[in-house]
Amino acid sequence: MSQILLFGAGATGSRVARQLRSTGLIDALEVRDANEERLDALAASFDGWVTRGVGRRIEGRYDAVVLATPPGSQVALARRGVHAGVPVITTSNQTSEVRRLLALDDEAAYHEVPVVVGAGFMPGLTCLLARHGARDYDEVDEIHVAKVGTGGPACASQHHRALSSTGVDWRDGRWMRRAGGSGRELAWFPDPVGGRDCYRAALPDPLLLVGHFDGVQRVTARQAATRRDRLTAPLPMLRRPHPEGGIGAVRVELRGRVGVERRISVFGAVERPAVAAGAMATAVTLEVLRGRIAHGAAGLAGVADTVSMLDTLAAQGVKPVRFEGITTFV
Amino acid sequence: MGAGFITMVRRTVVAVTVGIAVAAAIRVRGSGGVPPQTGGWRELRGDDLR
Repeated sequence: MSQILLFGAGATGSRVARQLRSTGLIDALEVRDANEERLDALAASFDGWVTRGVGRRIEGRYDAVVLATPPGSQVALARRGVHAGVPVITTSNQTSEVRRLLALDDEAAYHEVPVVVGAGFMPGLTCLLARHGARDYDEVDEIHVAKVGTGGPACASQHHRALSSTGVDWRDGRWMRRAGGSGRELAWFPDPVGGRDCYRAALPDPLLLVGHFDGVQRVTARQAATRRDRLTAPLPMLRRPHPEGGIGAVRVELRGRVGVERRISVFGAVERPAVAAGAMATAVTLEVLRGRIAHGAAGLAGVADTVSMLDTLAAQGVKPVRFEGITTFV
Repeated sequence: MGAGFITMVRRTVVAVTVGIAVAAAIRVRGSGGVPPQTGGWRELRGDDLR
């Protein structure tokens, strides 16, 4: 009997709950959230399958704990999960928090549990697609990821902060600090999103990718922004974010060597970010329950079997795509 | 000396103004790039998922 504990009943958390239910593989889900009204609404939408929980204490009876709380609140919960011997799936997209989650590696290995760092749309699906695409290469030299759109209000606030904060790129074997909002690059996302101007921002993807690709020379992450986004980035948000953003997309570009040939491949996905993050967290939870995720704290770029998760995602309605038609060059 | 200084200031102001106008025109009117002319997106399937 599998029992999951979910923290967060917001846009992403509610999607995680629905998608875990749709798998038919989870016997019980306990949800905890500081917002009682939101928690009641989520619990009421299920016929007794979801139970309401309180507090931040994590007992060892759960098979996994999924953290879908706002960025900045996940490290303490993850540590509690590790100490209780419960596998932890996190969805944070905040750079500083991702660093601290990765730093739980030794503790997680000692307690023999996995801590999956960044099981969302980006990071999450981007890391998985990078690992999946790398199978075609003898050597990956460059990885460039980009995203459009936001999930719930907490995600939108983080997106806003990221654009005015310092990001990190990996270049020629060392970390480079980059100003948020700089480095405009036009990126083509899967239809119907199309071309968007993307900029550097405080995005954690390079931290989750670099360690899993030996010899990679450049790893960058960008997010789409409008002129108004860039102009208002240093200011507090001028109005409350929407309950949920619209359609979003991610894009992963790999450059490397296959034999003597240089090659580029581009992967992507289009979905509402909260829906995709929920599907990703669900797919990862199932992998954790099957015992296929290694102990320790790491992102999804290190998983051995990408196909199983991509299959689960497809069953949840999130279907990654690949761009065909790019010329290769010698 | 005074007239030459004023001329230099005036030319500088004109040069900066023209520069800003050109940069703004490129920024606002520029297309930013050419969409891919060949190929397209397709779902991962078959060999992609083995």
